[in-house]
Amino acid sequence: MADAAAPNQLFEQWRKQFEEGAQAWARLVTPPAPAAPPDPTAFWRPVLDQGVQTWAKLFAQTPATPELLTQWKQFLDQWIEAWSKVLGQTMGTEQFAKLMGQSLDQFLVAQGPIKKAADQQVEQALQALNLPSRSQVTAVAKQIVELEERIERLEDTITAALRRLGDQGPR
Amino acid sequence: MGQERFADVVERFTGVGAGEPPAETVKRWHEELERGFRRLQNFHGLVTNPVEPRTGQTPRVEVYKRNKSRLYRYESSRTHRIPVLFVPNLGISRPYIFDLLPGGSFVEHMTRQGFDFYMLDWGVFGPEDNDLTVEDCVTRILPRMARRVLETSSFVATHPEVPVRNFVNMAGPIDFAKVGLFGLWLGKQNFNVDRFVDTLGSVPADLVKAGFKLLKPTMDLSTNLNLWWNLWNDKYVEGFQALSKWANEYVAFPGEFFRQWVRDFYQDNKLYRGELVMGGRPVRLERITCPVFVVGAKEDYIAPPECVQALIDAVGSRDKQYVELPGGHISLIAGRGAAVHCWPKVSGWLGTRS
Repeated sequence: MADAAAPNQLFEQWRKQFEEGAQAWARLVTPPAPAAPPDPTAFWRPVLDQGVQTWAKLFAQTPATPELLTQWKQFLDQWIEAWSKVLGQTMGTEQFAKLMGQSLDQFLVAQGPIKKAADQQVEQALQALNLPSRSQVTAVAKQIVELEERIERLEDTITAALRRLGDQGPR
Repeated sequence: MGQERFADVVERFTGVGAGEPPAETVKRWHEELERGFRRLQNFHGLVTNPVEPRTGQTPRVEVYKRNKSRLYRYESSRTHRIPVLFVPNLGISRPYIFDLLPGGSFVEHMTRQGFDFYMLDWGVFGPEDNDLTVEDCVTRILPRMARRVLETSSFVATHPEVPVRNFVNMAGPIDFAKVGLFGLWLGKQNFNVDRFVDTLGSVPADLVKAGFKLLKPTMDLSTNLNLWWNLWNDKYVEGFQALSKWANEYVAFPGEFFRQWVRDFYQDNKLYRGELVMGGRPVRLERITCPVFVVGAKEDYIAPPECVQALIDAVGSRDKQYVELPGGHISLIAGRGAAVHCWPKVSGWLGTRS
């Protein structure tokens, strides 16, 4: 019995640490709003229990086999999957979407004038060096794209006209 | 815990003092050790001498190009009369995922099944293409591509204006009310698409990448864990390198394309509601009457199966079928699972109708 007590004690400590960790994360990711907050511990608990049971079984085996590594990999897979579900649930809330939208908006509001000022400065610098700016090169490329489109339309018109002539046959 | 008890635990764990371990256990430890060495060897190779994976090797010829877009025809011993035009997504990623590696390529599978197979590569758009819209792609580029397919394959369509004999939708979203996290994040109340496009001009590739990574933040962790686990397997490493190359090569969205895509599809769900107008003509799904085959993936979080399946109820076709296969948005089309589950189903369905 003394043999079994030592690993059990280790596992209990490990389990306690994991549970405390999970609760800490739960407090962090759970939004303060009362509307149906996700409960990460609900995902954690079965994974933890399964993991701990698996390890307890393995420790009871003598001698250790490569199964140990497979079990460890499975445990990590489950652990990642549990986290994925927790994050998925959190990111699937209206609060998260709103928060992300607000952050993006703030970034864009700040970015707009900065980008404009930077573009102007670069353009002035290139002009001073007598070099074409990015917007000038883009404008030329755009013209080429438009020209290509016009040629394409002409080709289509000619092909259609030739087809019609062919359909009418020699008179 | 006393020292003596800890020693007991070690003894129990390692089997010291418990007699000879079973031969089977010894053999498996040997195998595991060998795998460990090969893992280290391959890891060393990956870090010190990374090999560029040779993707897209199925022989092909370019039959048409328009701006950045290219139309390719793949070599095949054609046994089916009706050509297949494969149209991948615009932006986000490159289309060589469909022709990843020999033996693991959807294109190769289709050509071996005797299809005259064409694939449209939208190309990588630059700032000069920022005015390109979804409408331009659908009403200007696609019809031309279809015409070129008909011309080069010498197939005479019964209805040249709409030369679609059969239609296959592979994990393409239709009902955007059921499109999952992207639907929520890009919703009108959370995302100002006008400010986004007006400020940035286009959607940079890095931002596209960030969006997809955010959709499944643990993906990189599980991918790397699986790599380590399978690092002893040379075939797996080869496949991983090819897939990893593709998965990290994101493509920017032209600004106006993104604006219309988000507004008309994600925010207003116009296609499914029958409110979409393109080229001055209403787009009605119920007017599709050709045979339709829809494939959804069970674990697809980019286009969840229910949003893909919606096409079946929306079309006016009598010959229509939906299949839901295991895997995600990418593993539906690429990888070992796809070769077993998806490709034979698509080629089988098309084969009897071509």
